[in-house]
Amino acid sequence: MRRPSTFVVCSLLVVLGTMLGQNPEYRPDPTWRAPDDAARKVNPLANRLGAVPGGKKLFLRNCAECHGDGSGIEKKHSADFQLPVVQEQSDGTIFWKITNGNTGRGMPSFSKLPELERWQLVLYLRTLKPVPSLR
Amino acid sequence: MRLFALLLVVFASVASFAQESPYFVTYDYHMEEPGNLDLEVSATTDVPRSGQRYYFAPWTEFEYGVTARWTTEVYVEGQTTYGDSTVFTGWRFENRFRPMKREYWINPVLYLEYENLNEASRIQKEIVGGGSDITSPNSELRNTPAHELETKLILSSDFHDWNVAENFIVEKNLSKGEGFEFGYAVGFYRPLATLASGSNCRFCRENFSAGMEFYGGLGSTLNFSGRNTGNYLAPVLSWLVSDNSTLRFSPGFGLTHESSPVLFRFGYSYEIPGIGSKLSKLFEGKR
Repeated sequence: MRRPSTFVVCSLLVVLGTMLGQNPEYRPDPTWRAPDDAARKVNPLANRLGAVPGGKKLFLRNCAECHGDGSGIEKKHSADFQLPVVQEQSDGTIFWKITNGNTGRGMPSFSKLPELERWQLVLYLRTLKPVPSLR
Repeated sequence: MRLFALLLVVFASVASFAQESPYFVTYDYHMEEPGNLDLEVSATTDVPRSGQRYYFAPWTEFEYGVTARWTTEVYVEGQTTYGDSTVFTGWRFENRFRPMKREYWINPVLYLEYENLNEASRIQKEIVGGGSDITSPNSELRNTPAHELETKLILSSDFHDWNVAENFIVEKNLSKGEGFEFGYAVGFYRPLATLASGSNCRFCRENFSAGMEFYGGLGSTLNFSGRNTGNYLAPVLSWLVSDNSTLRFSPGFGLTHESSPVLFRFGYSYEIPGIGSKLSKLFEGKR
């Protein structure tokens, strides 16, 4: 019997990796915590609301694929940024999580973005906080 | 029908940030995002020395993010030598693993690649030992197989928006006794702007990254030396053309007599986000 070629074996490995690499179920990770000094960092763009549209552009490019477009409909069971459990975290904590990712749980690191662009993302995420309805 | 749906998945995917690092030879520690497929078409060409022939060596890469810390790639490559012939020069299967979960001052990545090539390969994705043979005819080189295992230790850091990366390369040709061959690549780059504008501009500085690469061979266990090896200094530039495609360009200047006077490299990459989950949905059975 003819043996499969190395190319076929390698191709099968790629396909297998594709299937295993997915993260079908998201559950919040209680161990994913920013160190205290990182959590205390202040957003240097906090008073520059003009940077929000740039943050939205970055969000749609980098985050929307998994987290949805900010309308409350998330994909891939990733965190919804409108939830209090996200919005109650400090700017520094969110910045640290964007920077480091949670690579064991499918969230990649976005340290490839310049530091100010990561702070722009934090700035934009704050605008997703739902406004309490008036009764 | 499924083929049609597959094509729709590939070409109707939503945009994803696809700015690749501008490096051609050096690897940094940033991995492909999990579930994303990056298609790249690149080429190497040169300005030959007198008596040598001009060549054009294109390659195609399929880069997939298996997990946030594991990226796998398949390459196919070929070359055309002016006045000689066009030949298929083989394929490569590459894997990169990032052992650390968090960001550190220096971030290591382990790299393992199997290469099923012939000696006519001229893409010079890395330079080890004495470099490629660019003087012998293709008819002779294409019949000389080169089954090679290549490993790299990639060390990389982000420092004030500068990326710095150092690669140490060890390659073993399983087809003939060349000993272990060594090479290196060092690079740095920075985006030209670090704050995103609110508009979808294409020529804004934020869409460009620029830097420098320095790479070459270090001989082998039979002759460990920087002498008689190719070494290049290469400025690198990348441009985020659209939300999911990037153009890269690099002229490499030869620093030794064994180097080509100038190597030109250019590439185009297109990122398809979430293709893994889309394919899973496409091929899951009826319930």
